[in-house]
Amino acid sequence: MTITEANPGYKGYKYVGTRLIRPDGLEKVTGKARFAADLNLAGQLHGAVVRSPHAHARIVSIDTSRAEAMPGVKSVITGDDFPSVDPGHRQYDMCVNIIARDKVFYEGHAVAAVAASTLEQARAAAAAVEVEYEALQAVLTIDEAMADDAPVLHSHMLTRGAEPPAEAPSNVASVTRFSGGDLEAGFAEADFVVEREFSTKPVHQGYIEPHACVADTGQDGHTTIWCSSQGHFNVRSSTATLLGWENTRIKVVPAEIGGGFGGKTTIYLEPLAAALSSQAGRPVKMVMTRSEVFRATGPAPCAKIRVKFGARSDGAIVAADAHLIYSNGAYQGAGGMLGAMTVFESYKIPNFAVEALDVVVNTARSAAYRAPAAPLTAFATETVLDEIAEELGIDAMDLRLKNAVKEGDPSTMGFPLARVGFAECLEAIRSHPHFSAPLGPNQGRGLAAGYWFNIGESSSAIVNLNEDGTATVVTGSPDIGGSRASMALMAAEELGIDPHDIRPVVGDTEAVGFTDITEGSRATFATGRAVVEACRNMVIELRGRAATMMEAEVGDIDWVDGHAVYTGDGDSEGKEPLSLAVIAGKAKRTGGPLTATGSLEAHGAGPSFTVHLCDVEVDPETGVVSIVRYTAAQDAGTAIHPSYVEGQIQGGVAQGVGWALNEEYIYDSDGVMENPGFLDYRVPVASDLPMIDAVIVEVPNPAHPYGVRGVGEAGIVPPIPAVANAIHSATGCRIRDLPMSPVRVLEAITAAGARANGG
Amino acid sequence: MAVRVHLSSNLRGPTGGVAEIEGSGANVGALIGDLERQYPGLGDALRSGVSVVIDGLLIAHPQYYRLADGAQVFFVPQSAGG
Amino acid sequence: MTRVHVTCTINGDPAEFLCDGGQTLLDALRDEVGLTGVKEGCGTGDCGACSVMMDGRLLCSCLVLAAEAEGSDVSTVEGMASGDELHPLQQCFLEGAALQCGICTPGFLVAAEALLERNPDPTETEVRYALAGNLCRCTGYDKIVRSVMAAARSINAGAGSGH
Repeated sequence: MTITEANPGYKGYKYVGTRLIRPDGLEKVTGKARFAADLNLAGQLHGAVVRSPHAHARIVSIDTSRAEAMPGVKSVITGDDFPSVDPGHRQYDMCVNIIARDKVFYEGHAVAAVAASTLEQARAAAAAVEVEYEALQAVLTIDEAMADDAPVLHSHMLTRGAEPPAEAPSNVASVTRFSGGDLEAGFAEADFVVEREFSTKPVHQGYIEPHACVADTGQDGHTTIWCSSQGHFNVRSSTATLLGWENTRIKVVPAEIGGGFGGKTTIYLEPLAAALSSQAGRPVKMVMTRSEVFRATGPAPCAKIRVKFGARSDGAIVAADAHLIYSNGAYQGAGGMLGAMTVFESYKIPNFAVEALDVVVNTARSAAYRAPAAPLTAFATETVLDEIAEELGIDAMDLRLKNAVKEGDPSTMGFPLARVGFAECLEAIRSHPHFSAPLGPNQGRGLAAGYWFNIGESSSAIVNLNEDGTATVVTGSPDIGGSRASMALMAAEELGIDPHDIRPVVGDTEAVGFTDITEGSRATFATGRAVVEACRNMVIELRGRAATMMEAEVGDIDWVDGHAVYTGDGDSEGKEPLSLAVIAGKAKRTGGPLTATGSLEAHGAGPSFTVHLCDVEVDPETGVVSIVRYTAAQDAGTAIHPSYVEGQIQGGVAQGVGWALNEEYIYDSDGVMENPGFLDYRVPVASDLPMIDAVIVEVPNPAHPYGVRGVGEAGIVPPIPAVANAIHSATGCRIRDLPMSPVRVLEAITAAGARANGG
Repeated sequence: MAVRVHLSSNLRGPTGGVAEIEGSGANVGALIGDLERQYPGLGDALRSGVSVVIDGLLIAHPQYYRLADGAQVFFVPQSAGG
Repeated sequence: MTRVHVTCTINGDPAEFLCDGGQTLLDALRDEVGLTGVKEGCGTGDCGACSVMMDGRLLCSCLVLAAEAEGSDVSTVEGMASGDELHPLQQCFLEGAALQCGICTPGFLVAAEALLERNPDPTETEVRYALAGNLCRCTGYDKIVRSVMAAARSINAGAGSGH
């Protein structure tokens, strides 16, 4: 017998592709869902963090005695309470970011923490911790960081990838270079060459839930941490690393997570809470204020980008050169490297070179943000392609179709691409009514494409069948966008039972096998595969139990639509099909509880391409840009739950539009963030956006049993250039600096008007 | 197993810029050992932060991934995500 | 410090709690009453996650002192469903996939209920402006707006058939 191997992308599924009401939805619409800040333990203390007022300073001394003597204070910790960490340690940056040791590297950097009976007491005591600083010159911009006489942030940091190898430390953390073909010959072949520069500002992921946790250390030292994160196994190992504890000493229970977008792939509070709880012998709750979230967590890197493209008059891109500098905040990051891997990845360019630098500056340590680095390289590539199309008199869509990568084309990294759905996304937009709809006065239309790799990594799942034939599916992937619904649908498809009879849950670190962070658009792909594997192992077990019950050979039993069916040649008397529920009900008599696991390292994450079309209306008097229509087509491989695939696309668009038009960190000359709140750091609100038409394209990924590609990230890649191209279409102005705020747009319109008038 | 190795352009320092080389090994880890013998320094470059692509399959942690004779092995930088 | 004794109505039931003079209604609802469906996203009235109704007015509970609730009628997301029957907005949010992470959902539901009480048949633009004080970072608002409009239709259809 064979278990029916699901045909990748085959849409005859019974449950996959349906719009199940999410299993965790009821709790979320009734206010019962427990996010990290919603937990309170008996006897709990409240923690507060002492943060640096300086962007760059040496810590001369910390005196906690006055704070320790204050009412209600139970514990005060500083960097000295943690094991020292060597700069060569893989997680050095994370460790010294969570609590500073000798130096502070940005305004808001944690230097001490306090636990007290009430939050007010903790905050008062935190204000009473006396820290003496020796202020150092701060470097706040890429140019300052790379100046010859720039103060060096990290005396141990030698530029990785430098040729010849770096001998002296600098603020350049790494250099990444890719090339292919013959750049000079390529540009010589070009009929049109264009070179442009771009600049962007740091932006925040902007999750609505601030970081929060509760840590409770028992007398035996075992510590339980309830927290909001994209990966609780990572919280465990990172906390253990910082404290010098074994993993088994820590249990991390995932609370519901109120948004992450990459910003909760790293940790900030948990080791502090665990150390405070360990000292005080009481549970400690820590919740960041919104100001702390902005100042001390997450921003995505900003960049300066220079690109040069050469095209033949027929529209073929024959050469491209890029120079990228990403500012990753206070510690080394991967912005530049990821930028280098994405800047030319969407197009077949025979001759190219990329050089990418990652630099450090005295601003908060950057964190991943949805398709890290790619929105900025797309801003450069996709707006310059638009310019090429205009110059050559070729339709912007045709230019992209002509150059789009397809299966077998070499990636920037050299390997031939597997099956991808880029051309299909372009065609989906071209055939959409939006593409040919008329535009009104002051309106313009912009087209842009985007790409993201997606990743696989490790996942674990457990399937337990209950006595009544229902099932519990436990995974280790925090659910940030509806993944539990997808797990239930895939398990239902495999087991052949109704998804309403399946309870998908996210298990704590002691309840399920190791699972990597929910990042890289991997949950439905990789954890989904673990669920499928667990279910297939369960089906093998169920067939065996049915064989026992039918007194038949297991090889003569098939699993069909939730039933064990006898297919042998023998007497079929007494061998009627047995439902999963009947087999589950007799589990005690056939061998005991029915449980199966799946755990794997998921190879073969399929890249996701996406193409966006944006209409804007620009007010020529004020420079205000309104998004009037938006359509986004994205290759999902197979949409397990179409509503949440659409949701990922729509959410990515909204974030990208915010990045394009409004969002930016504003620092004063000392490196203090001037807009650490949602009033002055303006994310899009409902009245800023139209409906976002999400078109799901399905080109199955052969490495997933249902053809899934990750969908979480790619949607944020094209909005910035789509908006920029639309603004150009409406006004004739090319804006290459973010954000494209009313002031900047108005300046561009005014300057263009002056030029037109011979000014 | 004798395989054809393709290095992404950022990994070609130790080969003096050569993109395609020959190597052998039962798995990727053994292959890297062989490449280190041929091109001192290449092993270090390939052991961390590097993935491979074989037959279109991206493998993030390939040390023990078995190689078939004649395989095309592409070494590429490891990607990440948010 | 002497605590303030507040007597009020919460979600239709008489309630009393003690609070500090400087404590916000948000903190009192969460920490003293245990209604953690009221969320804190910013503490400065910018995100709407803590939206509640007080005496018929929609407000950010982080901007109201708990002591001001004395004698008032407060309602939160926890009071929206009647018994085991969800409010049409809650049902439509579920069916319309109007939530992803769900942290902003309670505030949106309360704000949307306030809108529909004031304007039972809002246009898309009216929905968008009425909800502009509530931030959602996951959905791009598309499915939220659609779900609010679906709930309005559902309520109006029910009212039409019922009377």
